Amino acid sequence: MIVLLIMAFIGIVLFEAPGLIKKKMWRELAAFSLYLSIGMALSIPQVLGITLPNPTKAIEALVKPISELLK
Amino acid sequence: MPEKGKIDSKQAVLLMISMILPTAILTIPAVTVKTARQDAWLSVMVATLAGLLIARLVVSLSLRFPGQTLFEFSEEILGKALGKMVGFLYIWLFFLYIGSGVVREFGVFLVTAVMPATPIIVFLIVVTAVAGYAVRNGLEVLCRFNQLFIPVTGLLVIVFLLSTLDMKLDRLLPVFDAGLAPIVKSAVTPTMWLGEIVTLAMIIPYLSKPKEAHRVAVLSILITGFFLTASIMEALLIFGPNLTGHWIFPTFNATRVVSIANFLERLEFIVIMAWVLGGIVKVGVFYYAVVLGSAQCLGLRDYRPLVLPVGVILVALSILLHGENIVEVLHYIPHVEVPFLLIVFEVGIPLLLLIVALVRGKGGKSN
Repeated sequence: MIVLLIMAFIGIVLFEAPGLIKKKMWRELAAFSLYLSIGMALSIPQVLGITLPNPTKAIEALVKPISELLK
Repeated sequence: MPEKGKIDSKQAVLLMISMILPTAILTIPAVTVKTARQDAWLSVMVATLAGLLIARLVVSLSLRFPGQTLFEFSEEILGKALGKMVGFLYIWLFFLYIGSGVVREFGVFLVTAVMPATPIIVFLIVVTAVAGYAVRNGLEVLCRFNQLFIPVTGLLVIVFLLSTLDMKLDRLLPVFDAGLAPIVKSAVTPTMWLGEIVTLAMIIPYLSKPKEAHRVAVLSILITGFFLTASIMEALLIFGPNLTGHWIFPTFNATRVVSIANFLERLEFIVIMAWVLGGIVKVGVFYYAVVLGSAQCLGLRDYRPLVLPVGVILVALSILLHGENIVEVLHYIPHVEVPFLLIVFEVGIPLLLLIVALVRGKGGKSN
């Protein structure tokens, strides 16, 4: 699984990055790398079986008074 | 400007319908019927009125700043730093949250109801890839794709008509059994769905006639409200409130009941088609909003490089954010998405933006 995922990421980089470098769109390249690293940070731990904290739980606790009201 | 395409008003109405309807038609009946019982169809009507108000708010705000999307005018209203912060909140907590939720619901429905042996990740990746391809080709392509396939959603009307044979009107009685409170309370969930019309603020600048935006919003809310009411009525009239409240996808089960002369049967394939094609468009709209919004927030010339990375994020978040199984997915809708997204992003921030714009005298006169 992890090999497939890394290959997918390499594929995405090879697909987008050369064109951006050729056209000298550095800002776009920076944004692309930022978003791709966020994607890696979210997906690689899941494939390796590490459970990330779920932000939804925090939001649920935060809005609990309102959702109780609506029950 | 990263997007150069233009769409006409009819395409925009159809796009907005596809953006709200597909997930709503299958998930709303169960959630609403649980609290409002046989009066659930009244809640949807209340929700439609509330949706019209939200649409009015968003379109009025958007028309004050012609040619600007949500992300551009929030910067103009609140100043650069605060406006960018609001933009990032919208990207990460609204568009990505709902987008990943739709991806997950898409997969969950297909796995639960149709193909139980397939791993869910297959559906998640496939729907994101197809939507991503449409988004990469621009708004016009997404709209034309939608225009091509929306007649399938229209076929649902025929299915509803065919199922009238199994309906009994007295299953809706007694009306107003528990009073007004449960009706209003359970109207909140459908309001959240109809409030997704906020995304129209991303589309208005690319309408060929932005002046018609009010009509676009009203028409799409009314048509969506009609379909929602029809789907809840169908489930209620066939099964009654007890059974409907216990099923996960009551509308889907209701279409399974249809059997005309032992010949016209298994019409659920129409619901599945509407779900698959509509789900792709729905994911596409939110995907598009994330990608275009990020490009505008970060000041990029082109949004296309972001399409693939955002796709990865969407798939990863769809597994991470929405619980481990279908029970949790459906639990988070009324307990997290509804209060949080409705109050903060669909009503709160647009209202705040409009008030600040009025006070600071920013933007032209609306209409």
